[in-house]
Amino acid sequence: MASLQLTGIRKSFGATPVLDDINLTLEQREFIAFLGPSGSGKSTLLRIIAGLESADSGEVWLEGRRIDTLAPGERGIAMVFQHYALYPHMSARENMAFGLKNARVSKDEIDRRIAAAAAVLEITPLLDRKPAEMSGGQRQRVAIGRALVKEPKLFLLDEPLSNLDAALRLRTRVELAQLKQKVDAAVIMVTHDQAEAMTLADRIVVINDCEIQQVGPPMEIYSRPANSFVAQFVGSPAMSLLPATLVEGREFASLKLGDGSVVHTKVPLAGLPGGELRLGLRPEAVRVTDTKGTTKAKVDLVERLGERTLIYAHLAGGQQIIGEDEPYSQVRLGDEVQLAIDGESAHLFGPDGVAFHRADA
Amino acid sequence: MPTVAANIRRGRLTPLGWGGLIFGALIMVAPLLWTLLLSLKNNSELVGHSGAALHGPYTFENYVAIFGNSLTTRWLLNSAIVALGQTAGVLILASLAGYAFARLEFPFRRTLFVIVLLGLAVPSQAVILPQHELFAWLHLHNSYPGLILPGLVAPFGVFFMTTYMRGIPRELDEAAMLDGASRWTIFWKVIVPLTIPAQSTLAVFTFLGAWNDYWWPLISATRSDMYTLTVGLAAAQMNYAQTSGLGYLMAQAVFASIPIFIVYIVFQKQIVRAMAGAALQ
Repeated sequence: MASLQLTGIRKSFGATPVLDDINLTLEQREFIAFLGPSGSGKSTLLRIIAGLESADSGEVWLEGRRIDTLAPGERGIAMVFQHYALYPHMSARENMAFGLKNARVSKDEIDRRIAAAAAVLEITPLLDRKPAEMSGGQRQRVAIGRALVKEPKLFLLDEPLSNLDAALRLRTRVELAQLKQKVDAAVIMVTHDQAEAMTLADRIVVINDCEIQQVGPPMEIYSRPANSFVAQFVGSPAMSLLPATLVEGREFASLKLGDGSVVHTKVPLAGLPGGELRLGLRPEAVRVTDTKGTTKAKVDLVERLGERTLIYAHLAGGQQIIGEDEPYSQVRLGDEVQLAIDGESAHLFGPDGVAFHRADA
Repeated sequence: MPTVAANIRRGRLTPLGWGGLIFGALIMVAPLLWTLLLSLKNNSELVGHSGAALHGPYTFENYVAIFGNSLTTRWLLNSAIVALGQTAGVLILASLAGYAFARLEFPFRRTLFVIVLLGLAVPSQAVILPQHELFAWLHLHNSYPGLILPGLVAPFGVFFMTTYMRGIPRELDEAAMLDGASRWTIFWKVIVPLTIPAQSTLAVFTFLGAWNDYWWPLISATRSDMYTLTVGLAAAQMNYAQTSGLGYLMAQAVFASIPIFIVYIVFQKQIVRAMAGAALQ
């Protein structure tokens, strides 16, 4: 049986549509990430599932029960809020007990569940402290604990890591991944950070412009983006998209860039539309070379990341392109460099942005 | 330039500054001290010259006499019932209304809030005649409800609590909803405890206002056993000041201000904070 099922969810705020015909099914114990830019509607979708917003139409089912007509507290859902939303006047223990008391769970059972959750989250010494007496990371653990003790069928995490500093964020990401193994429930996390989504989620739901753009496992989203939005949104830095025209080939498409250079791809020629296409190149598919490359470009920015160097450049036709070089790259701003383009890992998009996939991908 | 207050905090104040502050304090304290001294003097001594209060012998006989007059203690009780009743009522009503304006969606919410705000602009004097007629028609004059009810119309309280509650993050309400809390539980267990600073400020001002109120009790309470302390003391001044004496009158004044004094001492922090808040806004 599916865990969560969304069918035909629509929502608009006044005349502004926010979600348009959202359909999605979660498997048991699946960890799903809603990934999208600010204003894409991903948080609204999460709030509709939680019952904090009502959809204009559509249904929400959780483990065989229709829940969109129920009050938030009756849905069997627990949520960790972006700013934690711990009750400031209550200790960590009282925060965790509040929902259970409302559900009339016995005191012994409340104590048992709090002790168990506190042990897992290593917050036992904090139980009698109030939120103001805790650090951001500790507060977040308590907020997760408050969700855990309810033993929900579905966890909702709203940007759970966005308030933590960089070091703590990495650590918490690992801990969330470990926690996911321990809970017997499905999890939905909303995030605009693709690294979070890639590391934690079993499947990613990319949302933009009121619609689901693509659903799939992280590597599928990365290697087979359904359209140019997904291709550019997932991956850092973003994929370069270059206008290109089809030149004749036999089995696979070859494309001519604005500066006249030709890239031979592994995208089957059959079914491609004529006219203007866009060639998608991840930075790792574009390398700086000493010998003669596919094309040449003028360097706008050199970004040294330690394990690699990113080269931001533009072609003779003016198109922006991002490539890679050795960690100790000699390239400098303003240099003209030769770029070797690995056509076999290139992506191809039609005029409407829809992807044409490589034969091997 | 640092303010005087800032200088005092840093322990830096010139002798001139100290002198100025002491002078100011003396001006404020002198009438109170004078009242206290007069209240401790035998009435017959004061008939000749009130300057006698500056030296002994001092006596508590005026205070003893207050408790001899059954009406004074009755007035004290009336004032306490009215002031506490109004305070409790205003806190309950302003919190409920504040929550409704801050959190609930209902028809004409904005319009109603504007009407509440307009209430701030209506002076109580402007409505005193119809108010008097209404209460006469309801047969509520010379009763506790008659003294308490008008004070429950507290537009400032509603405005104050609404503003305060709007400042409480909505995420807390939502977390409580997901925790299965009813509207009432959210209000009572989550929101109200977080408004305690605002509640205590509002309580202090309401209590002081009710305790010191003179005009409405003067109109509504016509029987001397329903007087509040302010009305009773004023009546005593008019009727007995010349006969029973100045010392007795002053003892009554001191006696009347003791509860206020206690409220100020206990809630000093809230009062100062509320004043500072009002000054900053």
